[in-house]
Amino acid sequence: MIPFDPKSVLFAKHAQHVVLIHFPIALFVAGVAFDLIAFWRQNRGLAAAVYYNLTAAAISTLPAAATGVLAWQWQLEGKHLKGILLLHMTFGLLSTALIWIVWWLHFRVRRTPELGLPRYRFPIELLGVPVVALTGHLGGFLSGVNVPN
Amino acid sequence: MKRPLILMSVAFLLLLETPISFGNKDADAESTNSPAAAVKIDNFSFNPPTVTVPTGTTVTWTNSDDIPHTVVSDDKVFKSKVLDTDEKFSYTFTMPGTYLYFCSIHPKMTGKVVVQ
Repeated sequence: MIPFDPKSVLFAKHAQHVVLIHFPIALFVAGVAFDLIAFWRQNRGLAAAVYYNLTAAAISTLPAAATGVLAWQWQLEGKHLKGILLLHMTFGLLSTALIWIVWWLHFRVRRTPELGLPRYRFPIELLGVPVVALTGHLGGFLSGVNVPN
Repeated sequence: MKRPLILMSVAFLLLLETPISFGNKDADAESTNSPAAAVKIDNFSFNPPTVTVPTGTTVTWTNSDDIPHTVVSDDKVFKSKVLDTDEKFSYTFTMPGTYLYFCSIHPKMTGKVVVQ
């Protein structure tokens, strides 16, 4: 295999899910960290960065989820949803939902600032981080990253 | 006069029967005692990682892991579909040689079949 051969990139059976999935993970975790710091420091600039981070995180869940389904169909040949595969998909859907809910809470305030960011967003954000981490951990087993030595 | 004729007929029939019965025995021996080997896929590894077998052996891989795996030889001599938990894949090795194989989903998983 030639690593720079476009065919090896475009026709990979995992459909680049293992690459694209890092975007929503990193953007969401960074967005939550920034939100906590922005709240603590009352930093408006950082609060704006939170919104853009979460927007990018939410958008990047779409190709990540789509390629996840393709990876399941192509690389795993659409095997039955059970065990780690079922857990990964369930937590993946939950992660996606939580990321979009958090984004919507910030988006709502962006459009109507007088509403103010609700404090209950923090439990949702802090629930989202471990759920996203657990999804990635399970996905690591499916992709072979977490294979024991 | 009749007795030698009967004896000759019996002997002739025995001669006819003998190779057939030998042939069947050999066929039975092949079908029941054909060499076989088993490789278990568990905890992201092939166990045993190396199997040494005589020519004509059928090796059967069984996925005992909770995760789908494949069995693919390095030189594409054999290739399984994706094996779910408890699914099996068999291949009969008719040529001597060393066959390296791996799981195409988890390429760190490797194994070897030595056919003598």
